[in-house]
Parts: sequence; C-alpha cells; structure tokens
Amino acid sequence: MEKIHTTCVYCGCGCGLFLHVESGKVVGASPSSSHPLSQGRLCIKGWLGAEFVNHPDRLKTPLIRSGERLLKAEWDEVLSLITARFKEIKDRCGPDSIAILTSAKGTNEENYLLMKLARAGFGTNNVDHVARLCHAPTVAGLSYAFGSGAMTNPISSLAQADAILIVGSNTTEQHPLVAFHMLRGKARGAKIIAVDPRRTQIADLAELHLSPRLGTDIAWINCFLNVIIQEGLIDEEFISKRTTGFDEVREAVSKYTPEAAEKITGIPAHKLREAALAYGSADRAAIVYAMGITQHTTGTDNVQALANLALATGNVGMEGTGVYPLRGHQNVQGACDMGALPDLYSGYQRVAQAREKFEQAWSTPLPENPGLTALEMIDAAKEGRVKGLLVVGENPMMSYPDRNRVKQALETLEFLVVCDIFPTETTELADVVLPAASFAEKDGTFTSTERRIQLIRQALPPCGESRPEWVVVADLLSRFGVAADYRSPADVMEEIARVTPIYGGVSYDRLGTGGLQWPCPSKDHPGTGILHAEKFSVGLARFRPVEHKEPFEAPEEEFPLLLTTGRSLYHFHTGTMTRRTSLLDREVPGPYVEMNPEDAKKFGVRGGQKVVVESRRGQLYMDARLTLDVPKGTLFVPFHFSEACANVLTSQALDPKSKIPEFKVTAARVRRAD
Amino acid sequence: MKALLSRDMLIPFLTEIGKKLEVVAPVLANGERVFCTWTGQPLALDENPLNPPAEFLLPQRETLFRYVQESGRYTFEEERPISRLMFGIRPCDLRAVSVLDRIFGADPRDNHYLSRRRSTLVAAMNCPKPLEGCRCYQLGSGPEVKDDYDLLITEIEAGYLVEAGSPAGILMLSDHSEFFLDATNAQLKERDRLMREAEEQVKVRSDISLQKMHDIILAADWETLGRECLSCGGCTFVCPVCHCFNIIDLGIPDGERVRCRDTCILSGFSRMTSGANPRRTPGERMHNWYLDKFEYIPQKTGLPGCVGCGRCTRVCLAEIDRWKLEAVR
Repeated sequence: MEKIHTTCVYCGCGCGLFLHVESGKVVGASPSSSHPLSQGRLCIKGWLGAEFVNHPDRLKTPLIRSGERLLKAEWDEVLSLITARFKEIKDRCGPDSIAILTSAKGTNEENYLLMKLARAGFGTNNVDHVARLCHAPTVAGLSYAFGSGAMTNPISSLAQADAILIVGSNTTEQHPLVAFHMLRGKARGAKIIAVDPRRTQIADLAELHLSPRLGTDIAWINCFLNVIIQEGLIDEEFISKRTTGFDEVREAVSKYTPEAAEKITGIPAHKLREAALAYGSADRAAIVYAMGITQHTTGTDNVQALANLALATGNVGMEGTGVYPLRGHQNVQGACDMGALPDLYSGYQRVAQAREKFEQAWSTPLPENPGLTALEMIDAAKEGRVKGLLVVGENPMMSYPDRNRVKQALETLEFLVVCDIFPTETTELADVVLPAASFAEKDGTFTSTERRIQLIRQALPPCGESRPEWVVVADLLSRFGVAADYRSPADVMEEIARVTPIYGGVSYDRLGTGGLQWPCPSKDHPGTGILHAEKFSVGLARFRPVEHKEPFEAPEEEFPLLLTTGRSLYHFHTGTMTRRTSLLDREVPGPYVEMNPEDAKKFGVRGGQKVVVESRRGQLYMDARLTLDVPKGTLFVPFHFSEACANVLTSQALDPKSKIPEFKVTAARVRRAD
Repeated sequence: MKALLSRDMLIPFLTEIGKKLEVVAPVLANGERVFCTWTGQPLALDENPLNPPAEFLLPQRETLFRYVQESGRYTFEEERPISRLMFGIRPCDLRAVSVLDRIFGADPRDNHYLSRRRSTLVAAMNCPKPLEGCRCYQLGSGPEVKDDYDLLITEIEAGYLVEAGSPAGILMLSDHSEFFLDATNAQLKERDRLMREAEEQVKVRSDISLQKMHDIILAADWETLGRECLSCGGCTFVCPVCHCFNIIDLGIPDGERVRCRDTCILSGFSRMTSGANPRRTPGERMHNWYLDKFEYIPQKTGLPGCVGCGRCTRVCLAEIDRWKLEAVR
C-alpha cells in the first residue's frame, strides 16, 4: 500500500490528505497532520474522498453520438471530429459562435489551457465557468472596493478575531474546516454573529443569530453601518488615510435606522443594534460570507455593502480582521485566477489592457470583442448565436437556474462537447463525450479559497482510456495551430508564472505539502497571507453607497412562499461524486424540502409526506421535512438531486453587474402530492 | 528468545524480510509519518502515525469477491491476502488488534479478516516516549507490549533489542541469525528500566479506566456535545478498534462486492427503512460510541474497546477532549 499526499477535491477549504493506493486502486484516505489549514482533520466528505474514483460508472472511452445513442470511439477520431466541427462553425459563423465552459473542478493548468484554447485557438473571449453562479459578485465587488476579489486573510486568521460576522454561509456543513478555525476563535472569546434566514448549526452555536427576510441583506448591513457611525465606532484614521468615498456612504446609510431596517428585514431593531455593536466595538472583526450574499440580483451591491462595513471600521489588512468570501469548489479560486472569465486573462489582467502582452506571449493575434458570461452563453445558444459549446467538468443541466430553459438551449446547439469523469445530465445531451482523468489520476495544482496554490499528485493511472484534461486541451491547441509543447503540468505552470504576475514565483518544486499563497511575484517571495496590509491593490480602497432593492420575485397570491436553495453537508453540488459514495448517499438518499411546521399546517402537509413544490417555471416531487430551523414563509431545497432538480424552479433573473442568477429567492407554493 | 539488532543492521534485516513478505512500517511520506509498504523509504519509528495500522487487517475498502456473469451463470473470484510483516506497531495498536481478533474470531467467524490476520506477522515496538494525549497505561494496553506479538522490539542505546513471542517469531530470528548479536544482561536491564520510566510518564496522567469513564459518561452533557459535533466521523475512522463496515455491490452484470468502513456517527448507520431512528441526534450517536468502547466491547471481549491512543481527540473537528468529554478550545 502506498500513501500519496494530495489536495481534497471537494470544497474550497483545500485540505491536505493522503490517498491510500493498493493494486492500482484507491482503497482509502486519511488526513495530513502537517497541513497548514486542516492540521490532521477532515470533514466526512474528505474522509470518504476517495470512494468515487474507482466507481464502475466512470466514463472510460470517448463517445460520439449516433442518433439516440452514444457510441464508443477512438481518441484520434473524436479529437479530429471536434477540430473539424468547431473550425467549420467558426468559418461559417465567426469565432464568437463558439464558447467554452471550463471547470472549477479542473486544475489551474487545465483552466489556463482552456482559456488559451478559447482565445488563441478559437479566437473568442467566450469563456466562463461556474464562478459566474457563485462568486462573480465577489470578483466584481471586492475588486472594485479593495482591488482584489479574493479572501483578504488566511482562514486560520479567523481564530484571532474578536468578532466574526457570518453571513449566508452554512459554514459547518459547507466549509467545515473554516468552521473549525471560527470555533477556535469562539473559544478564545470571539463573538459570533450569524445572519441567515435558516437556523444552521453555526447559527445555533453563535452568540447572536439574525434571520432576515430573503433578499434584504443591504438593509441590515447598511443599518449596521448606520448604528456604528451613530455610536462613533468608525475608524476615522483608517477612513481618511486609506479609503475614498466615505461621505456618500455615510449619507446613504443614514436612513437605515434599526427601526427602518426592521420593517424591511423582519429582524427586531434591538437585535440589529446589538449585533451592530458587537461587530463595531470588536478590536479585530472579520466578515465571512458565501452564497447567501452573492446569489441575488443585488449580489455585487451586497458584497460592496459588506466591504463598506469592513472599511469603515478599519477591519482590513491585519490578523484577525478581513473579508472572507468562501468559495465552493476546490479550484473555483484557481479557475478565476487562470482567467477562465470572459473579460480577464490570468491574474485578473483585463483583456482590454493586457491583450498585446498575451499576443506576444502566445505569438498569435487575440480577440478584442468582450466574451459572453455563462448565462449569456445559454441565452445565446437558445437564440442560435452560439452554435458550438465545449463544456469541461461542469453539469449545467443541474447547476444552472431554470433547467428547462438550459435544456432547450443545449438542444439548440449544433455541436456540444462535454468532458467529465461520470455520465451526467449534461453528457446525455452531448454530441461528443470525452472521458476525463479524476483528481487522483493526474498531477496539477488547485488554489483554495484562501489563495493557497497546492499540488495534487497522481496516485493512479487514468481510468480506462480517460485522459487528464490538460493533455486533451494541449492536443486541441496544436490542432488549432497554437504551439502547445507541454511535457507535464509543471511546464504549463512555468508558462502561467511567466505571464501572470501574482503567480510569478510559483513553481512545482516550491509547493511541497503546504503550498504558497498568492500574490507570490518572484521565486524568492514567500507568498502573501494577509492582503492590503500596507496598501490596497487599488491604492485607496473605494466606498460605494448601495441601496436596498426588492428581489426579482416576491410572494404573491398564487405563489405565497419564498423558496431558497442550498446544499447538505453530505453531498457536493450536483452529486456526481457524492451520490456515488455509498455512506454519503445513504446519509441523505433523496430530495427533500424543509419547511416550517406552521406553513405545513396551513398547506395541509405532514412531515415525511410526498409534496409537490411549484414555481412559475416548473414543479418537483419530494419529501417534506418539518423544522423550526426554517422561518415561516420559507422553503429550503438542496440542489443535489437529479430526481428533483431544484433548478427546475429557480429563475434566470440576473444581477446586472456580475450576471449571477438569483438562486436564493424564488416565489413558490407547496401542496400534498396526490 | 532475545537478541540484539544493531542500528546499522535494521535496514539490511528488513530488506531481507522484504524479499519474502511485504513489510509494512511507519515511514516518512512527503515529510509525514504514515504506515505503508516499506520499499526503502526513511523509517519513522519515533512517533506513532495519526492513521492506525488496523487498515492492513481490516481495509477501509476491500473487495470481498468479484462476480462475473457468463451465459446466465455467475462465477465468483476471490483474491488471496498478501503475506505481510507489520513492523513497528505500538502497544496500543497491537492491543487493538487483539480486540479485533476476539470480535472477528467469535461466531460467526469473519473469514476475510481471519485470513488476512493469519497472513500477517507482527513485529511490535515498545513505546519509550508516549505522546501527551496517550492513556495506554490506564487502559492496560501499554506502554509495554505484553502478548500477541511475533517479535517485540525495544530501542536501547546499542540498537534494537528483539524478543520472539511465537514460533513464527523464533523462526524469523533463527533463520536470520546473521543479522543478530546475543543480548547482554545489561541490555535486558536497560530495556526494563526504559519501560518502567515510560510507564511512570503515563501513569500520572488523568485516569480513564473503565470505572472512571463510566462516571464521565454518566455525567456528560450529550445534548451539548452533540450540538458541537461536526459529524466528520474522524473519531471512528482513526480509532484502531472501530471496525463497523457496510457492504455494497458495485457493477451490473459483472462487478464486485465491496466491504467499506462505516461510522456510527452518521444517522444513516442506525436509521431504519421506515425512517425511524433509535439514535436520532448526534449527541445520542456519540453517547452510543462511548458505551460501545467502555461497556459493550469489554462485556463481549473482556478487553476495553479503547486502547488509550488519543487519536480521536487529535482528529476531532469540533476539538472535543474525548477523555474529559468537554470542548478543549
């Protein structure tokens, strides 16, 4: 039995673990005690992290559609077909009729090569990935405010905070190792303030739990700032020396008194005041947030509101302070860093400004046209403007809002290529399916939510004829006439380091078992734990006033409830891996809706009964679970389950600034199934 | 039978054994101590690895057999276990093996476990420096190995004092006599002195005997502990005595029957088909885990179900002190 140190493939924590390998199979996993974040601990998914690798459902050969069926094919045949079809579409309809959705599950090297394929190979900026559905508002909001869209501090810094404001994050279930460090802070005496409509475990353990009406975050955040200003708790020196634009914000928040905010949010005024004082009076205060902040039509403004709060109290740039967006996938940070975004190259270099640099580096002309975001690609496909789509390690049929619309769009495409490790609801619609090697079967790097670039190490040969995506993409790059002479992912990282200043000092021989945190501009740079310590990347940090806006959908006579979506501890995303892990699938074997017992009584539903949950866009059958943890008027549905895909119900209403859809608020109704 | 293996003979001896058996030992992998197959990596004998060696007898995941369908008939293929020497396992982990032997050896006998066990020789290692969290002495499992070994090794000034504890152990020594010297009386006395000192170190630590733990379990606030528990299952996964498993069939029509580790920390472990669950809350499940360790296993096997290795506290995601049953943060 061999044990190989690698990085966990589930959430953005980026824990270190060993894969146990015997006779060509992964037979177990165990934690790494020297890892700087996980320190010998793992969550249940990590402990069971290896089980899906040898699952018999793995895609083992390339497949080509023939009528209703997908038939086995040779690699050379499919790669030639992909090249010919994409070239033909490009010649006929222009490069912008092709698009790529890259993968937050893939490595940095793979995301870099995919964005290179889109830009240098296809000649389009149409490249995006699932970050659009989770932290696009963070990238937009924090980049504007601080100059960098990433977590400001290492996660372990939370243990040094005196107050931790946790907003829209079910931390113990979705980022258990972040909760671990928060709870260390709590034990040191930090006050934990959890703001979540649901009473999650972290809300239960918190000193204060505020439960706002869905989609009213700006109102209570502005109210916090208002109270803090009134009480004289702002950091005048920090504001005057390091920021700009505070006066407009002071003016804007003045009308959000606790009483006014109570009317909007439903949180009692005295609780708002108490929580605001807890955050405002702490010596070192941290803000942690996740999808509860971003997945709204006001996502970017929500993020800015939190940034305003942190800036006004001087809680940025020091140990124990900071703003911590928690990223969902283990490499969604890296996919953003690598420029798998329509307006940015790697290292957040704007297409408008860095195009010439990349043209020189890649010795090829690059497109100027702004690219489409993920949801815009779906629209464009539906309208026939995008005709060819390459999807790598993503399952939009499950994870994108308004599933029926997504299905229509994907079916309208002339040519859909999907690369994945398992058959998914999206591979079912593909013209060509490519089998990918899993994280245990290739080398590469992932970048965790705390900007930690870490190695994954190959423990096994790829399953069947599957290939690592970097090999496939490098092959496609040469077929599109772009030099791609990479012998290993380390070679790709060398190129990334050359063209990406924040990764400038990164090379495989430096990463060891603890990795490096970017920015790491040179070979002798130790990496950066805390951002914005001396100076913000934008120079002076920017305040921007934001106002409360009602969500896209409100409860009304026909749909009197509000539905919000989320996840369970035991499953990950669309369940492709966790539903093939026996203990996890047994723990939460099927779809369910959580509702308040009072609502259940009103709509004639009992616990455990089958119910129909409906929105304007569709309906689902699932089990009802009654719990006081969900407030009256609210339904909660996890989105892991293909047999009742929550995104049949959600809408494609977008935040105008970041184009994220509003997963968190959908008008809905519920009734007993006949 | 007692002999001395000088320091520079350890690697040649293991290399020689490695020609006949797979040698499993604590080694350094990427700078960390882990039990795995030794193929010349640096040994890490100074401290016990975080993950116990029990997985070499009861793997986290093992194929019980493969089923192959041909013309409507099924044939079944089983693999033979690998012959191994487990080298350098500590008294606590060895005691855990003794408990597992009694559990899997009782009716109905578990032949998969037993055939692996029969194919495994144990070269245990006395523990001169128990870690801070260790309570082996209190539970009678260490720091000195008393029985159930083939070879027993104690590190002394002059090298490794090796004692044989079974016919297979005697054969290993006599078949490889070229590696060994005779042990002197002074060396035997040194060994006894070292073990007395180790014992003194652990002895003074807080008592977690069965009686004491019985009281702690009675007094614990299980509801609060359950609220804090993050349901990672880590305590059960690093426990060298925990042995619960689940069986699944993977693949149709051909495939394999797989046994994989399970954990009573999950609600699905005790949930009935109807949805009813006798251990509904995390607190109730943690309580049951303790009762198993300190009441049920002792009743069934005559040995405590806890060997005092302290690993459950080290991996607890909620940082609960598993001896005191309170949060340590």
